Amino acid sequence: MPLKLDFTLDENTYRHYLNGHPVVMHSHHYLALITKLVEDLDDINGPQILADTVEDTMRVLLEDYFQKNGITDTKDKGMVGTEYFSTFGLGKMTISGNDQCGEAKLSHSHIDEGWLRKWGKHPKPINHFTRGYVAALFAAIFNRSPRSFSVTETAGIVTGEEQSVFVVKAA
Amino acid sequence: MTVMRNDVVKALAKVTVQSNEQGLIPEYEVLVNLLPVSLLNTLAERLLAAAPERKTEIEAGLVRAAYECGYHTGCGIITSEIFSDVVMPMVTEEEKDILRGAYAAFTAWGWAKSGIVQLKEGQKLIIRAFDYYEADSKGDGLRAYMLQGLNQAFFELAYAAPYPDGMDTFVCKQTKGIEVGDAYGEFIVTGK
Repeated sequence: MPLKLDFTLDENTYRHYLNGHPVVMHSHHYLALITKLVEDLDDINGPQILADTVEDTMRVLLEDYFQKNGITDTKDKGMVGTEYFSTFGLGKMTISGNDQCGEAKLSHSHIDEGWLRKWGKHPKPINHFTRGYVAALFAAIFNRSPRSFSVTETAGIVTGEEQSVFVVKAA
Repeated sequence: MTVMRNDVVKALAKVTVQSNEQGLIPEYEVLVNLLPVSLLNTLAERLLAAAPERKTEIEAGLVRAAYECGYHTGCGIITSEIFSDVVMPMVTEEEKDILRGAYAAFTAWGWAKSGIVQLKEGQKLIIRAFDYYEADSKGDGLRAYMLQGLNQAFFELAYAAPYPDGMDTFVCKQTKGIEVGDAYGEFIVTGK
């Protein structure tokens, strides 16, 4: 079930919409620096604020799509979620698992490859953005409340690994 | 002929970006992302709410992220094939027209429905924006961090040392904002 993409433009404001939701284009410089900003704000839990924000806002888009297109099957929901991830330009994701545990893998990652282009390798994973996306996707697939899944990045392309790996556990 | 803003906006607004088989969008010499504006606004709101005593530091970080994005992506835009096809045939006044074309792209691609209201070449730029997504954000005070960064970047691409050596030549201050009840956002770029 391929993701249907409906790009529209408000010709009065020139705001752009994807499947009815306003979207805007930025570059890897922006998300690399936002990632760096939240890392610098670690003492106020900056990385988790970013992850939670991504979880809350992306879940709205995912569930809206599931509802409008009558998607109820967990595999179909997963496919839509990973295709949306690529549509946002965030990379190539595969997921596996159930309502208790799972895994997400990235063979390509906007955040990691953007960081590498800008600053080179980093000694630890930094993809807090995708931790939030994976949490949103698992919660949306299994109809769970927000923060129902904890997501830990155990390997990152930014550290030199071939792929990024995110371990998912029911909280 | 100078840049016909409305024609450029209409032509560029039709451009859509699509990811490749790697789920990435390599365009304009950068990796592009296409994100919900609610995510960007909510992140700024939550970071500022989490540490109001560090407002200056967080705001500076948000502006810097936008600025570096704008500087590097902006260079990719004004040297792109689409800009060359649509804008460059109308350019007769060099930097001034390139800047006009860049602000048409600024509008067309949804960063802000905005335009130049005053330009002193290489010295000062005043921009007014009549619609921008940061105006939807919740919070206190002027908070169009993205536009502050992008306006500085675009003026530097036109009038600072050639890319990539012109960074941090100018500074942009927001003086009005729809988010605080003004009819438009206003941004003034001057030398540091």
